Amino acid sequence: MTSLLELKKIEKYYMQGEIQVHALREIDLKVAEGEFAALVGPSGSGKTTLLNIIGGLDVASSGFISLNGLDLSTITSHALSQFRLFQIGFIFQAYNLVPVLSALENVELVMVLQGRNKKERTERAKHYLNIVGLSNMMDRRPSALSGGQQQRVAVARALAAGPKLVLADEPTANLDSENATALLNIMFKLAKEEQTTFLFSTHDPRVMDVAHRIITLSDGMIKSDEIHSQ
Amino acid sequence: MQQKAHLPLSVFFMLAWRNLWRHKRRTIITLSSIAIGFGLTVFSIGMQDSGHNNMVENAINMGDGHITIQHRDYLHSPANYRFLNDGNSLLESLEKENINAQIAPRISLQILASTAHNAIGAAMQGIESNDPLRKLLEKKITTGGWLTPNKPRGIIIGDGMARKLKAKVGSKIVIIAGKKGGDSESQLARVQGIFRSGIDELDKYLILSSLEYASQYLIAEGGITENKPLTRIAIFLNDDKSMEKWKQILSTKYNTEEVVVLDWEDMLPQLVQYIVFDDLGAYIMQFIILLVIVFGIINTVLMGVLERTREFGLLRALGMSKNYLVTMVLFETVLLSCLAVVIGWIVGGSVHLYVATYGIDFSGMIPEGTTFAGTFMDPIVYSELSSERIYQLTIIVFVATLLSGIYPAIKASRIPPIEALKS
Repeated sequence: MTSLLELKKIEKYYMQGEIQVHALREIDLKVAEGEFAALVGPSGSGKTTLLNIIGGLDVASSGFISLNGLDLSTITSHALSQFRLFQIGFIFQAYNLVPVLSALENVELVMVLQGRNKKERTERAKHYLNIVGLSNMMDRRPSALSGGQQQRVAVARALAAGPKLVLADEPTANLDSENATALLNIMFKLAKEEQTTFLFSTHDPRVMDVAHRIITLSDGMIKSDEIHSQ
Repeated sequence: MQQKAHLPLSVFFMLAWRNLWRHKRRTIITLSSIAIGFGLTVFSIGMQDSGHNNMVENAINMGDGHITIQHRDYLHSPANYRFLNDGNSLLESLEKENINAQIAPRISLQILASTAHNAIGAAMQGIESNDPLRKLLEKKITTGGWLTPNKPRGIIIGDGMARKLKAKVGSKIVIIAGKKGGDSESQLARVQGIFRSGIDELDKYLILSSLEYASQYLIAEGGITENKPLTRIAIFLNDDKSMEKWKQILSTKYNTEEVVVLDWEDMLPQLVQYIVFDDLGAYIMQFIILLVIVFGIINTVLMGVLERTREFGLLRALGMSKNYLVTMVLFETVLLSCLAVVIGWIVGGSVHLYVATYGIDFSGMIPEGTTFAGTFMDPIVYSELSSERIYQLTIIVFVATLLSGIYPAIKASRIPPIEALKS
């Protein structure tokens, strides 16, 4: 399998007041296309920082990172925006939907930014909302959806834009057991069907159960990297 | 990277519109304050412009027209002997210019009017029978009638002067005018009519006579009857806007060492000054109103931006560029200002239309006979707004509101996505 994501000696420092925090230490990681991988570890171990750097939301203090052959360590802020728009799908713990847009419009939003035509983006948005089981709630705004439903919209939004890599930061943390399981099943199914690469940060043992690969972080370092057979 | 992001205007519009109505009450309060401020500005400018136009119009009609041709030194040092020797040639030449105007030859004299009871200094105006002054003053005659050719010594005086001189229609008045050498020229005149204009300067000091009667005094100063000596030629243009053009044309042709072409602004510098200062005061008031509008908008848009920090972080995370974010926030401001201008015009325009139709009567506040800067204002003021003013006001408020959106927009674009998402 070809390597989609490659990280070499990634270091991250940031200041917390007057104290310098060494958040990531010499991270070396390769993620292949189509992988369904989980980043696990205790709070403060560097999971979210690592996801943010991979997603181009944050920059590493040093090291090399490339995604789909693009060297992220040298590109401009504008190019990073473009990179996020076309290559990355985000799923956040707090759903982060735009409150003034309906479920359908939220899913369409990234495709609008991508410049896809109205017909194509509506078709794709409806298709993915259908897959996540919200075909009868497309016109509802986020305030009229439950947490689980909002997170499903977020999953549809992340995948409808056709990203190479989906980054999910604790996607099930705010969901009850039933909704979390349903969401995981949907993501797993989509990853398999679409051959989309997923990288999660999680504490949720259910996510770890379905993941192909468990990468354990501790104190900003990779402690273990295990492949699970399904 | 070959792919390029693109956001259609319709999406900007839709996002901006919905964001604007997230907090209906706040938006409505902001819109109301902008609209009321704008409406007040429209109303005050309409009243002020109307007052100024009225004063200028009165100054032109009661004075010496849009353009005046007279002796070069008369304006700063008026004297009966400073006159145009050859009025005939000038009038003939002006006829050929084909000016869309009424041309009125006039003789202005500073005289002493004397009866057996009293003597007072006055201004005598010798005019032709079709002079524009006739239109204004004939209807104000309270006793007697207008000048007639069969009574060459007939004069018309104001009721204030009639009271002072204890004169009635038919009374004899001796008109005495000083001459250059110190002598004087006296002629007998007979009151043919008495008018009451309500303007002190006219009612107490103006005497109207025929041009022929007044010309005797210029002839006594050396003028030649056949040449038709005149103090001035007043030109009343039918189109106000052609004044600049005609002043330039006539100045080039008729300005000499002795003769000068002036417009009403040259003739009444104090009126120009009054309007400039009055405008300045109004501009300061409008600036203050504009500041209130601008801060109202900054407040609404900035509040909207600050409470949506997380959302802006999300949009940046999803790939929306800084420029798009700035545009999106500016769109909200544009929409807010468009709505404010429309509502402002509805509020201000309605008041303007009402006042333009029915007017406001200031006669209780302006005592009868009050003059300002050499002219007067009709006591009932009808609001006036020129199309230039409408464009000007709309553009000023629109641009001011747009500018007021820039700071919140830039602030929104500078929010780092990672920090915003943590908020």
